[in-house]
Amino acid sequence: MSAMSILDELAEAGLTGRGGAGFPAAVKVRAAHENRAALIVNCCDGEVGAVKDGWVVAHHLPQVRAGVELVLPTGRRRPPVVYAAHRGSATAARLREDGLDVLEAPPRYVSSEETALISLWHGGHARPMTKREPFVRGGRDSQGRRIRPTVVLNAETLWRVAQVRAHGPAWFAAQGTPAEPGPRLLAVRGAVTAPGVLETAAGMPFPAIFEAARGLRPGVEYVLVGGLGGVLLSRWEAESTTWSTPGLAPFGGTPGPGIVEALDPARCPAQVIAELLAYGAGESAGQCGPCMFGLPSIAADWAELTDAAHPAAFETTLARLRARVGLVAGRGACRHPDGVARLTASALRTLTPHLRDHTHGRCTARSLTHAH
Amino acid sequence: MPTDVRRRGRQPRLGVDRVLCSGHGVCAHTLPERVRLDEWGYPIVDSEVVDAREGAQAVRLCPARALFLRD
Repeated sequence: MSAMSILDELAEAGLTGRGGAGFPAAVKVRAAHENRAALIVNCCDGEVGAVKDGWVVAHHLPQVRAGVELVLPTGRRRPPVVYAAHRGSATAARLREDGLDVLEAPPRYVSSEETALISLWHGGHARPMTKREPFVRGGRDSQGRRIRPTVVLNAETLWRVAQVRAHGPAWFAAQGTPAEPGPRLLAVRGAVTAPGVLETAAGMPFPAIFEAARGLRPGVEYVLVGGLGGVLLSRWEAESTTWSTPGLAPFGGTPGPGIVEALDPARCPAQVIAELLAYGAGESAGQCGPCMFGLPSIAADWAELTDAAHPAAFETTLARLRARVGLVAGRGACRHPDGVARLTASALRTLTPHLRDHTHGRCTARSLTHAH
Repeated sequence: MPTDVRRRGRQPRLGVDRVLCSGHGVCAHTLPERVRLDEWGYPIVDSEVVDAREGAQAVRLCPARALFLRD
C-alpha cells in the first residue's frame, strides 16, 4: 500500500493526459474528486491514424481498469464510469467482453472529442459543446440541458496512472524528458518497413523512431506528425529533431495524440494534404460558423493551389488561404478548426515550393506525372 | 451573471457560444471596438476584456443568446 495519495503520486510523476492536449492529470483528477465527477474512459482513437488507445485496451485492459479505480474518489457513492469506443469497433467488443459499460460513439472525427462524448452520454448528439466552464464542474449545454460533473481521461492515461502506482513516481519521471516525463505510445505508420505501436517517450530522435519501425521506405520526403490536427515536416526537418514539445515547436507541432506518418513517396504530398483537408471539412459538426464555412473554404483554396495553372492565380489564392487559416483557430466549440488550421499552415510552409512547381506543370512525385 | 460581475468590480471577458451563434452580427454594432465580423458574418473578438455595462448590454441584445461574460 502506498503511503502517498494518488493525487500526490501523479503530481510527483508529472503525468499529463495522453489524449493530445497534455493537461496535468493530477489537476484534472483533483477537480474530479472535488466535484465527484462521473468518468468517461476515452478509448476512441479519434485522430486520423490513431490506434494507440485501442492497442492499450487490447493489451492492458486490466491495468486501465486498475487506473480507473485509482482515480475514482473514495466514499459512499461511486460516480458512474463508462468506456467510450467507436460503434462497431474491435475495441468496443473487447470492452463489452470484459463486462464494461460501453458508450458507443459514431465513427466521426469530432464525435470522440471530450465534450462530444459528454453530450452523447447525456443523451445528446455526439457533437462538441461550448465549454463556458470546464464540465468537470458540471454545467449546461447550449440548449440549457443540465450536464453533471464529468471528466474524460483516455485509456493510455489511465494505464499510466496504474503504472505510477505500481512502479512509483520516480520510475515514471526517469523516462522521457524532465518537462515531458514518462513512457508514451506512438503509432508509426505509412511508408515505414514495420508500422505499429511503439512504446517510447518524449525526446526520442526521429531517426530512432524510424529505426524502431525498421526504417523509412526509400524515397520518403515528408513526415506528418499528429494526424489531421498535426504538422507536416520535410524528412530532413524530422530527422534533425526529436519527438517532443520543444523539438516540434519550431514547426508548430506537439507530440499530440502520438502519431507519426511517413508519407508515401509515390504520391504527390499536396494531393495527400488536399485529401486530408477535404476530409477535415466534411468532419465539421456543422455547429460553429467559422468551422462550418471556414474549413470547406480552406480545403477549396488548397485544392485551387494544387491545380493553379498560372502563377498570378496562385499568389491570389495563397494570400486568401493564409488569411483564412489565421482566422479559424480558437473560434469553435472544440479544437477541430484549430487543428485543420495548424495542418494547413504547416503544409503551406513545407509545400509552397512544391505547389509553385505545380503552376509550371511540374510535380516531383512520380504518380502526378500520370495523374495530371 | 452580470450582477455577480458588477459586485466584484472587475472587467469581465466576453465569450461567444459558437454553437449558438448564427452570425446575426449585432455584436459588431454593440461592441464595435472589440468585435468585427469575418467574411461569413461570424464575430472575431479582437479584445475579450469588456466594460461590464457595455458587455452586459451586448449580451442582452444578442439575438442568438450566444454572448456571455466570464471573469
